[in-house]
Amino acid sequence: MELSTRKTLDRAFSGTGMFSICLMTASLLVILLPVFAKGIKAFVFRETIENRKMILEQFHRGDSAALDIEWESARTARQPVYDAMQAFRIELDTLEGSRRRELRSSFREVESALQSLLGPEPGSTLSPLLRNRYGQTRWDRAQVKLQQVLFREAWDYSRPGEAGTRQWIPRKQTFAGTRLEPMFDHLETKLDSMLQPRWTFYWRFLSDDSRDSHLFGGIWPEVLGTLYLTIGAMLFAVPMGVIAAIYLTEYARPGRVVQILRTCISTLAGVPSIVFGLFGLAFFINTLQVSSSKSVLAGSMTLALLILPTIIRASEEAILAVPRTYKEAALSLGSGTWNMILTVLLPAALPGILTGIVISMGRAAGETAPIIFTAAVSVGKPLTLLQTLTQPTPALPWNIYNLATEHAAVEEIRHVQFGMVLTLVVMVLILNATAIAIRARIARRMKG
Amino acid sequence: MNRKYTRFTAAILGAGLTAVTALAVGDKIVIDGSTTVGPIAKAFAEYYMGKNPSVNISVSESGSGNGAKSLVNNACDVATMSRPMKAKEKKAAEGAGILPVEHIVAMDGIAVIVHPSNPVADLTVDKLRAIYTGTVKNWKELGGPDADIVVISRDTNSGTYETFETLVMKKEKMAGKTEYVGSNGASRQRVTTTPAAIAYVGLAFTEGVKAITVDQVVANHETVLNGKYVLARPLYMYTNGRVSDTTHVGRFLNLYRTAEGRRMIEDVGYVPLKN
Repeated sequence: MELSTRKTLDRAFSGTGMFSICLMTASLLVILLPVFAKGIKAFVFRETIENRKMILEQFHRGDSAALDIEWESARTARQPVYDAMQAFRIELDTLEGSRRRELRSSFREVESALQSLLGPEPGSTLSPLLRNRYGQTRWDRAQVKLQQVLFREAWDYSRPGEAGTRQWIPRKQTFAGTRLEPMFDHLETKLDSMLQPRWTFYWRFLSDDSRDSHLFGGIWPEVLGTLYLTIGAMLFAVPMGVIAAIYLTEYARPGRVVQILRTCISTLAGVPSIVFGLFGLAFFINTLQVSSSKSVLAGSMTLALLILPTIIRASEEAILAVPRTYKEAALSLGSGTWNMILTVLLPAALPGILTGIVISMGRAAGETAPIIFTAAVSVGKPLTLLQTLTQPTPALPWNIYNLATEHAAVEEIRHVQFGMVLTLVVMVLILNATAIAIRARIARRMKG
Repeated sequence: MNRKYTRFTAAILGAGLTAVTALAVGDKIVIDGSTTVGPIAKAFAEYYMGKNPSVNISVSESGSGNGAKSLVNNACDVATMSRPMKAKEKKAAEGAGILPVEHIVAMDGIAVIVHPSNPVADLTVDKLRAIYTGTVKNWKELGGPDADIVVISRDTNSGTYETFETLVMKKEKMAGKTEYVGSNGASRQRVTTTPAAIAYVGLAFTEGVKAITVDQVVANHETVLNGKYVLARPLYMYTNGRVSDTTHVGRFLNLYRTAEGRRMIEDVGYVPLKN
C-alpha cells in the first residue's frame, strides 16, 4: 500500500473516531442540559407569599412575625378583589333571567380560578385537601393561573368539517358594565403585591416530605427510598458476587461446568429488567414471603439479582488481571489459598472490583421495572431502618414515571418531576464519582 | 437452674425486642389497585396520616386487576378497584383463605374525552361502540374534521376498561389498531397532545381535555347519582374480612362516610354517595 493511501485511511479513521466522540458529547449535552435547566427550577424559583404561608403552617419553618406583616399588606391588596366579588354577588341577583344565567356560570369559573390563584376566600370553610387551602406557591404558575382568571378559553367550531380554533375571550368583556369589571384590571396590576413573589433557594426540596400527592413540599421519601434500595441491593449483591467470582477463578476446576456457569451468568446479565421484577414478585413476595406486602427488602433482593452478573463478571476480570507472580510469591512463602486470597489477591483486584460495583450501583439506583412490583409505591412516608424490612417506599425512578404518566395534575407539578430527574441524575453521578475517587486512591496506594 | 435463668432472660429479651420493633415500625396500611380510585386513596391517606402520624399509609396505582391480585395474595390491606370483584377472583381469594369485603366509596362516571379542538360534542353509546370496534374510522363521519380517529383504550388490567367493555362494547371486540395505555393519566395526556384522539377516563381526569356528552347527557354530580349518565359506576375498596372500627384500616375505610371524606371525594373530582 502506498504511503499516501495509508495516511488517508489513518486520517479517515481518526476523523470518524473524533466525530463519534463529538456526537456522544453532544447527545449527552442535549439530554443533560434540559435536565439541569428544568430541574433547577424545583430548587430555585420565585416563591409567593402562599408558599411561605404553606411552609410555616405545614413544615413549621419561617418567621411568623415577618409573615404576619407581609400577609397584612397582601390582604390589603387583595381586599378590593373580594369586595368586587361580594358586590357582584349582590348585583347578580338583581339581573334579569338570561343575563343572570349567562354570567352566573362564567362567575363560577372566575371564582374557582381565583381560588386556585390566591387561595380560599377569607371566611369560606376550609377544604381538607391542601391543594384547596393555598393559592399558587410559585410565581411562574401564578402567571398561568392569572391568564385563566383574565381570559376564558373558548373554541370556535363555526367552520363545519374542520377542527376548532382556540380563542381567548377577555372576561372583562363578559362582565362589562358590572361591578366585577374593575376587578380584572386590579388583579392584573396588583398581583405582585397580592402574592409578593421573592426569589428563593429551596434546598429543602430534598429533605421535605411531599404533601398532597406531590403538589407541595419535597421529595425526601423518594430520595431515602432510592438510597435504601441501592444500599440494600449492594449489601446482598457485593458479598455474593465477589465470593462467586473468587470461587469461579480460584477454586472451581476449569472445564465444562465452569464454562456453562459463565454462559449462564452472561445470559442473566441480558435478561430484561421487567422479568426480574416479575420474578421478584413471584419468588420473594408470593413464594418466600420475605415480607407480606411489597417492601424495600424484597425490592433490594430483586435489584441484587439484577446487578449480580455485572459484579461477578467485573470481579472475575479483576481477579484474573492480578499477575500470577503475586499469587505464586504468597503461596511459596507458605501462605494458604484462603489467606493468599484475602491478603494478596483481593487487595490487588480491589480497583477492578470497585469499578463493577460503581457501574451496578448506578444501575440499581436508576432501575424502575424491578421495583414496580416489589418495592415502589406512589405515595408513602419516609421509612425508618426497621420499617424497610416490611414496608414499601416511594423511589425516584418509579415516581418520575408515576408523576409523568399517572398523576391527575401533571401540568401543575412539572417542576417536581424535573426536580426528581435532576436529583436522580446527580445522585448517580455522586455515587459514581465517590467510587471512582476511592478506586483511584487504592490504585495509587497499591503502586506506592 | 442456670439454664432456666438463661432461657427466661432470652424470653424476656425476645418479647422486649418484638415490642420495641412493633413500636418502632408502627402501623401500616398498604393500598394497591385502581388508578381511577388513586386520587381518593391518596387524599384519604394524606388526611388520615395527618390525624394519625404514627401510621404509614402507602398507595400504589397499578390497576384494579393488580389490586385484586394483591388482596388475594394478602399483599395489601385495602384493594382499590373501579369495578366489582369477579367471581373468578373471589374464588381465588377463597382458595387463599381471604374473604374480600366490598365497600362502595364513591360514584364515578366514565367520561369520554376528546381534544378541545374537536367539534364533536356528543356521541351515542352505539356510535362510541362503532368507533372502538373500528367501523367508524374518521371524525368526518361524525361531523368532525377529516382526520383518522386515534382510538385510545385502557389496558385489560384496568377496571375502567372492564366497565367500558360491559357498558359500551357489549361483548364486541375492540379494533386491532386500538392503542392501550396503562393509566387514566396516560389516557388524558395522550388526548391533550393528539387532536384526533378519543379516550375514556374517570371523572377526576378531565382537566385540559373536552369531556363530551353521551346520549346527550353530561357527566356530573347529578346525572351520575340519578343514573341518567349511562356510563356511571361505583368505585370500590376491598378489605380482607370485615374490618373493625377500632383498627386503623377500619377507621381509614370509614372516611368516605364522614363530611370531610365526602368533601375530599368531591374536591378530587368524584361523586360522593348519597347520605
